[in-house]
Amino acid sequence: MNASIGGAIEFIFEPQSSNVTGGKEVGGLSQVIELTLNQLELTVLALALSLVVALPIGLYLGHRGVGEALAVGLGNVGRAVPELALIALMASVVGVGVLNMTVALAVLGVPPILTNAFVGIRQVDRAPVDAARGMGMTEAEILFKVEMPLAVPTLMAGIRGATIAIVATATIAPLAGVLTLGDFIINNNVYGQNGLLAGGILVALLALALEFGLAGLQRLLTSKGLRLSAA
Amino acid sequence: MILAAVGEVGEGFFKERTSETLPCQAKSTHLFCFDWAKENIDSFATPAQQHVEIVAISVVAGFAIAFALALVAHRRRWLQPPLLAATGVIYTVPSLALFFILLPVTGLGRDTVIVALSAYTLQVIYRNVTTGLANVPSAAKEAARGMGMSERQILWRVELPLAVPEIVAGLRIATVSTVALATFAVFINAGGLGTKIYGSGNLTFPTSIVIAGGLAMAIAFAFDLILLAVQRRVTPWRRAAQA
Amino acid sequence: MPSAVRYENATKRYGDSTTAAVDRLNLEVAAGEICVLVGPSGCGKTTAMRLVNRTVELSEGDVLIGGESVRERDPARLRRETGYVIQQIGLFPHRTIAENVGTVPQLLGWKKDRIAARTTELLELVGLDPELGERYPAQLSGGQQQRVGVARALAADPLVMLMDEPFGAIDPINRERLQNEFLRLQAEIGKTVLFVTHDIDEAIKMGDRIAVMREGGRVAQYATPAELLMAPANEFVEDFVGADRALKRLALMRVSDISLWEAPLAHVGQATAEVREKLRGAEVPYPLLVDAERRPLGWLSERDLALETVPARPGSPLGPLLDLDDVMRDALADLLQGEAQYAAVADRGGRIAGVLSVEIISEFLASPAAKTEEHGAVERPK
Repeated sequence: MNASIGGAIEFIFEPQSSNVTGGKEVGGLSQVIELTLNQLELTVLALALSLVVALPIGLYLGHRGVGEALAVGLGNVGRAVPELALIALMASVVGVGVLNMTVALAVLGVPPILTNAFVGIRQVDRAPVDAARGMGMTEAEILFKVEMPLAVPTLMAGIRGATIAIVATATIAPLAGVLTLGDFIINNNVYGQNGLLAGGILVALLALALEFGLAGLQRLLTSKGLRLSAA
Repeated sequence: MILAAVGEVGEGFFKERTSETLPCQAKSTHLFCFDWAKENIDSFATPAQQHVEIVAISVVAGFAIAFALALVAHRRRWLQPPLLAATGVIYTVPSLALFFILLPVTGLGRDTVIVALSAYTLQVIYRNVTTGLANVPSAAKEAARGMGMSERQILWRVELPLAVPEIVAGLRIATVSTVALATFAVFINAGGLGTKIYGSGNLTFPTSIVIAGGLAMAIAFAFDLILLAVQRRVTPWRRAAQA
Repeated sequence: MPSAVRYENATKRYGDSTTAAVDRLNLEVAAGEICVLVGPSGCGKTTAMRLVNRTVELSEGDVLIGGESVRERDPARLRRETGYVIQQIGLFPHRTIAENVGTVPQLLGWKKDRIAARTTELLELVGLDPELGERYPAQLSGGQQQRVGVARALAADPLVMLMDEPFGAIDPINRERLQNEFLRLQAEIGKTVLFVTHDIDEAIKMGDRIAVMREGGRVAQYATPAELLMAPANEFVEDFVGADRALKRLALMRVSDISLWEAPLAHVGQATAEVREKLRGAEVPYPLLVDAERRPLGWLSERDLALETVPARPGSPLGPLLDLDDVMRDALADLLQGEAQYAAVADRGGRIAGVLSVEIISEFLASPAAKTEEHGAVERPK
């Protein structure tokens, strides 16, 4: 292997000349930033779409207490879907482009969010819910003011899982014509071994950054009272 | 033969379409081509077998490590948060990235894939083993202690058997996820069903993708059911309770 | 007085079962009264209570609050006007105590300062330091949490309070304390309360009127505690109240209700000859040493009486010291606990008022006077 960490770091910051492209430069900070932003954009759009679709359904089913087979089953099936096949299929059949990729990635994000929304709401202690109902909160008020705040840990776990799955799969978006950091990996004949390693490192860093950010968000959203009662 | 049967089953769901000058599978609009499927189904045998092998080895290795770690942490509570965090970090890093970071170390090929996939399973299995052990009713442990069992005996005869459902649940999640992830092995020249999705430098065509994806999912469910059956076997007392 | 809550043939059937959980219940609760629904588990008492705020919907019949049918009210609005306290309390773990208490006022759109003022008022009312308002439920003990539950139910000054085994999950010591505090509270605010319990002792202690229920929410007897104890309407009530009805009656009386015996009093330095003179023919055959303000110090023993003058320290310890305001049942318990035959009873100032003994109590229970006296309907032992 003629890749090294040093070489990878060089690749990230300095444009390199490549044999394959006839001397055109590859790598360098501006290209890295461009591809990172692409991947980030895809991730954010797809996550937003998944949230809009999965969250309401999961919350509603959980609050009503119906559709457990659907919610949990979807989670199980979703886990078994090979991301590569999904993306490849979407690219082949539906077509390439940002929109299609976003939809494909959103499909990937729906199961964890929906399942966790359902399970999270179901697992909330019945006593505060019963008290809330008896005190005169409407069903919507119960869901938003009591059940959701108490379900934050499980809900966020689902959102974090979905985000990681989406950002991971966004790595292979180049297969569908959307250039992300995965391009360094997939087309390593162009970018070279250093590019390959750099790609791996960059994707890993991106994922960790997102996870860190979401963990912070979860901490913000978790009521102090909830943290105390869990302790 | 099993693969041929799968192809037959697919027939019930998809309709055949007429072909023009291009062969059926080359047309991007055709989701599933029976003729091609029937003819070429055998070519999926090797990739499927490779796939199963990769998954099996990875999960076993991951389980062995995670299980050992969990047992160590079981007695030393202070280790639990850091271990959970450490395994979590690996889990967060997308598998593809993990593959390629490992590349300089382990090189192209199956070893890299197995190391990466095992690492990926660590968090789920570790977390479930820890939780499973933590949820054992303390009354049972107290009774065992009172009867004169050593800590070791309590662990193997009382705690672990009672923790089996939780542990197997973690195994199932890990296995199913690993089957899906193993398709990425193609990027590291390690074979597997991914080769039928992304051939040499290009996407293949829908029929092949569908079959490969479908087979992967079938393998995942097969593993899931096997593990479930094993769990049922090993915990006869739960069946009795539900009866 | 207009009834605050009235059940009119109220019926609840679940699914398509032919047996009703509550079968044509007719009951009237007067305003300002605590009405206890008591009975074995499954008799429908909780269901009956929940019909009032529509957390359980009526199948047939009606429930009227202040003359208005609950069917004609929007359930959520109705519930904002009824206080609701459940056994598991159900405080919102993610909100502070103050936010919990202020839940219904907030739903009703009160202004912030009004809510804050009311919260402070209520926390003090239930015996909690208003500073606790900033804490979270997880930081409070079970007893404190239950008080917050009561405060929360009272926040919007509801017409009716529904309480479903509110003290059931508390340990016996705190339960008694909470019961007493609630009764003290009720004496101050006089709410109409529907109280569900399976514990007949709690029912007798808390209720102005008690409805003993059997399956189907059928009322076996609806009466004051005294009537229930002295004249059970049928075998079911008799069995449910228990064979120790006589002892239970003691919960309704105070020591001051009984005429106490007198013990000969002795002062320090008094000539023992005088004391011995007093002993002859006294109701209580032991002299009680008291101080200058007639506060009991102890009992004089034989050896003390053999001396010239009454010594400063009595030979026998005072033992249990009772109060005129004590509930008779507690007084008896103290007597038995102290293994004393006689116990000195002091008034509010600590001065000797008389002597109580087990004999006195049993004589009184057997007497015709006890049978005809009306106890407990209005005045409750505090």
